[in-house]
Amino acid sequence: MARAIPMPFFMHRHADATHSPGRTTRGFMAFQFKPEVMLDTAPLLWDGIELTIIITVLGLVFGFIIGTLVGLGRISRNRLCNAVAVSYVEAIRGTPLIVQVMFLYFGLPLVLGIRIPPVTAGVVAIAVNSGAYIAEIVRGSIQSINTGQMEAGRSIGLTHLQTMLYIIWPQAFKRMIPPLGNQFIISLKDTSLLVVIGVGELTRQGQEIIAVNFRAFEVWLTVAIMYLCMTLTLSQVLRMYERKLNARTSR
Amino acid sequence: MKPMIEIKDLHKSYGNVEVLKGIDLTVRQGEVVVIIGPSGSGKSTALRCINRLEEISSGCIKVDGFDLYAEDTDINYVRTEAGMVFQQFNLFPHLSVLQNVTIGPVKVRKMPRQEAEILGQKLLEKVGLPDKAHAYPEQLSGGQKQRVAIARSLAMQPKVILFDEPTSALDPELVGEVLDVMKRLAAEGMTMVVVTHEMAFAKEVADRVIFIDQGRIQEENIPSEFFDNPSNPRLREFLGKVAH
Repeated sequence: MARAIPMPFFMHRHADATHSPGRTTRGFMAFQFKPEVMLDTAPLLWDGIELTIIITVLGLVFGFIIGTLVGLGRISRNRLCNAVAVSYVEAIRGTPLIVQVMFLYFGLPLVLGIRIPPVTAGVVAIAVNSGAYIAEIVRGSIQSINTGQMEAGRSIGLTHLQTMLYIIWPQAFKRMIPPLGNQFIISLKDTSLLVVIGVGELTRQGQEIIAVNFRAFEVWLTVAIMYLCMTLTLSQVLRMYERKLNARTSR
Repeated sequence: MKPMIEIKDLHKSYGNVEVLKGIDLTVRQGEVVVIIGPSGSGKSTALRCINRLEEISSGCIKVDGFDLYAEDTDINYVRTEAGMVFQQFNLFPHLSVLQNVTIGPVKVRKMPRQEAEILGQKLLEKVGLPDKAHAYPEQLSGGQKQRVAIARSLAMQPKVILFDEPTSALDPELVGEVLDVMKRLAAEGMTMVVVTHEMAFAKEVADRVIFIDQGRIQEENIPSEFFDNPSNPRLREFLGKVAH
């Protein structure tokens, strides 16, 4: 009558150490892997996958814009720009994303007097969070370009801005791709933390399905595979893009 | 001939270290001035000041009558008057050879692309690389890179070209091809200031040779007198070391 509560397998072994092997096997059999549950679960996760992708893409687009501006602020000679950029990066890097998310969703509305929809809060959180890391990627890549490039640009009469735009940025951008890819993957996985504010992304949807069918093993495994499919696709796309960029400069 | 570059009492310090302790130099139009001196003497710094790649501590530098460090001078404009060739070439690796040469005319002078490409192709022929227009810098030898860099600075039709140790980063067998291009430029009447260790080039091409040591011009003379009759003891010592 009672549902067998699956116990971790090592506990069974320990508890049954003195008993007959038959009982060990029976205790072990209490959990039955049902692959068909995974097949049933997969289509139910579709909406969650969609939302995860939407939040990731929007978050990263804004994150890249924030990151570029802040990264440029980090290398600017303007003291104020620099101070603002450094504070932002340190504040975001130094606090957990989950705290940022809850602060944004539960904390800020108390001050602002407006409630932010969960998905919007999620996009903002991912943008603000990834922006700090992308700022460091942008700064590092630009600073890694030999100063001789700036001098050469200036020596033929290009302005500082033109040299940045036509000479430094294209070279720096190429160097940004691998670390950006890394950040994209991290941010994609970070969307799972939005579960705490009730955003119906992939992890949340997995949770809800388990609440109905109690098949934690199959459902979480399916959810994990879905994340893996997305991150593998992402890194594959980035690799192809990088190859394309490299091919263009060395024919 | 009218003066192309006038430097008066140029001082330059990095923190507490004074690298240039009062340089006075006038370069006339069409003149080739070679600057030699031991490393760390300030000769490259002095050259870079002429293109305002360094900020100066005090003094005055005029290029074709424009005061480089005056507040109302358009530095981007003056820089187009003085081309610069670097020791490390500093070609733009993400642009093709032709794009390296044409980016100045197109972006600064607003020259139509087609016109710029015709000019670029002409300049690549001039430096002996007509068939490399669509190659990328990493596919070139050091000597070829430096010749592209010369073509790039020529594309802005500068009134003077500054060479900062243009052959120092080259394999010995590639030095000649770069010096040949420079000799041709000199013969055409280009005003040139060259920081170099190539004494043979100085003897053959320079109108005037200058010895800078410890932040000051120690000797300044026509090449024959400079090399055969050096009066400054430091210069004699330096030439003695270089000759071996």
